Amino acid sequence: MSDRIKTGIAGLDEMLGGGFLPETANLVEGAPGTGKSTLGMQFIYNGIQRFDEPGIILTFEEFPQQYYRDAQTFGWPFQELEQADKLRVIMTSPEVGQADLERVGGRVESLVREIGAKRILVDSLSHFERLTQDPIQLRGVIYSFVNALKREGLTSLLTRESPALIGEGDSVDDDVAFVMDSYLMMRYVEIDSAVRKALLVLKLRSSDHAKDIRQFEITANGFEVRSKFEGREGILSGSPHRMADSFVEAFVRR
Amino acid sequence: MANAGSDLAARLMGDMDPELLEFLKSKVNSFIKWDLVRFFHDNPHSTDTADNVARYVGRDVSAIEAELGELVGTGVLERHRVGELTVYSLATDAAMRKLIDQFILACDDRQFRVKAIYHIIRGMR
Repeated sequence: MSDRIKTGIAGLDEMLGGGFLPETANLVEGAPGTGKSTLGMQFIYNGIQRFDEPGIILTFEEFPQQYYRDAQTFGWPFQELEQADKLRVIMTSPEVGQADLERVGGRVESLVREIGAKRILVDSLSHFERLTQDPIQLRGVIYSFVNALKREGLTSLLTRESPALIGEGDSVDDDVAFVMDSYLMMRYVEIDSAVRKALLVLKLRSSDHAKDIRQFEITANGFEVRSKFEGREGILSGSPHRMADSFVEAFVRR
Repeated sequence: MANAGSDLAARLMGDMDPELLEFLKSKVNSFIKWDLVRFFHDNPHSTDTADNVARYVGRDVSAIEAELGELVGTGVLERHRVGELTVYSLATDAAMRKLIDQFILACDDRQFRVKAIYHIIRGMR
């Protein structure tokens, strides 16, 4: 287990067979509000506090102040960690981030060396889509980007917006997911007139991983993985039903 | 009237830290530059194009491009080429960063802000 980059989130590391593999690119995809950025911030925070692995947050969307505020609500003092040279929050655009990583001695490369960063949160990969409409070109751009992160010795967690609020959406197993080493999916699920959140590790290259779909919540302590959805099926459709009902539908009511 | 205006300016600026007064006069002499200095102070690791900086501060690029250039000229910002892109970032010079920190900290004080605003408006005439 020592060769794993642990998220430090109980339940998630177990689902990942101990954690992410070092120097890999790991995609977290979900609908807005599911908790992708929270998961990413906790990955960075736990890395610094529990595993002495400094981190970088590369944001194409939110201002650093927003991360400081959001992190503080969970008791994670990001500004203090920046002052202690354990964290850097960088806001830029995908085109500049990409060009910067391609050159020798770029800003991200300098910051990685300056603080000895081992982890990076890229929030969010969806912004690369504005660089090109061509899916093949987009795949090439992202492939080059994640390879540059690996070259810097970083284990990356990259978030991506899912267009579907509830249900599978239409982006599963597409070109971008193909270049990633692991693929975590978050979904809203409607059960008994209440919305819950589901997490699935769809892919983890070169490693075994949990195949079941787990419930999770964002609590005052951050991301918490709970038990799997017992006795339900069709979770990823967004509207699961009891297995007994489907048994009846399939065999009894025929 | 001109003398009265000069007297008021002198009284408003008289008790200002001379270093900050000089910074205001020679570097942050417009509201757009003030916005830009605050943006880069709050985002010290940001490196981006004029187009994107304009989006971040909520202005049109045509309104900020010349001001970015002037801030580069006075050493507040740095301009680099990244691939085919021209990007701007906060100066790495420690003395300049300290001065920027002092200016932003001073802006928390309402009296300082009023004086700074008066100075900028006066300079725009």
